[in-house]
Amino acid sequence: MSNNTHERAQQLMSQRRIETISAEEQTWLAAHLAECEPCSALDAQTGAALTALRSAQIELPKNLASRTQLRVRLRAEELNERQPGRGLLWALVGISWMLGVATAPLVWHGFEWVGSEFGLPKIVLLSGMALWWLVPGLLITGAVVMQKQKSEREAE
Amino acid sequence: MTWAVPLKPGLHFSSLMTDDTKSIAHGLKQRDPELLDMLIEQYQYRLFRYLVHLTGNRERAEDFFQETWVRVLERGHQYDGKWKFEAWLFTIARNLILDWHRRKKPESLDSLAGPDENASFDVKDEKSATPLESFLNEEQREGVQSSLTRIPVIYREVLVLRFQEEMQLEEIAGVLSTPVSTVKSRLYRGLEALRGAMSVNTAAGQGGAA
Repeated sequence: MSNNTHERAQQLMSQRRIETISAEEQTWLAAHLAECEPCSALDAQTGAALTALRSAQIELPKNLASRTQLRVRLRAEELNERQPGRGLLWALVGISWMLGVATAPLVWHGFEWVGSEFGLPKIVLLSGMALWWLVPGLLITGAVVMQKQKSEREAE
Repeated sequence: MTWAVPLKPGLHFSSLMTDDTKSIAHGLKQRDPELLDMLIEQYQYRLFRYLVHLTGNRERAEDFFQETWVRVLERGHQYDGKWKFEAWLFTIARNLILDWHRRKKPESLDSLAGPDENASFDVKDEKSATPLESFLNEEQREGVQSSLTRIPVIYREVLVLRFQEEMQLEEIAGVLSTPVSTVKSRLYRGLEALRGAMSVNTAAGQGGAA
């Protein structure tokens, strides 16, 4: 039997444990193992090693789960304390939005008055109005993002 | 230090996606303490075993175990339920070890093979029943232990994930953030190394007996 035959057998012995091999390859391998004692012994040894690896047990440290659960709960409490009052934030956002809608006609009249005083085209007034609405929102979003990044850095 | 868990493009385990992973993802986003307690209980054995095999040191594995769960709490919102939870959990644990190791020495996981590599894994066989079986199992266990310590950690890791954790090749690739082809290549080499290490053990045993 050539070295190539044994190499092929060893390659297939690994392949069938890692991936799959075709029925034809299985038949060839079984025939080879039946007549080649060294390859058969190697296959048995690999099988035994993997069986032992699968069945080997690790002894857990005492109270590992409960100690970890306690630590995780303490950390969760720390994180919750750092969280800004989200309910209050949303309430403020809601009130701000309602006030914005309620005062929109007045703001528009203000812009119209400024426009007529300085002879500004309507597109400038509309842009001004849009900015009036967008800028506070953008500022708040920026502040929230910065706060979040800060919390994440602290968590790390 | 960044803690974004690497999600490989196209590597989503949609076929494995279940209500379980979705509800875990939902609970982690809420930082549900009951869910975390349950997950710690459920995965304690597998995670600890993985960490012991990776570090070769029980005390260090215990530290990493606790740190991993703290990270799960802090980064729970990043888990979207598309991965199996254990694959995500192992990725976090592995990244934690890599970070720690990089802080120590800017090298890869391979260099974990230090003095601790020779430390005993303190494993026991669960199936021992009779004294004879216990004796045989003990011999086999010691053989596996000392064989494993001879295998470089990058191969040991894939062997553990594949044959102890029964993970699919794609899942292992996700945990390791490497292509499936690399996982396969490491598995082939790992098996070869395991065989080699076992032969050395057998030869040493026979030499000792003679």
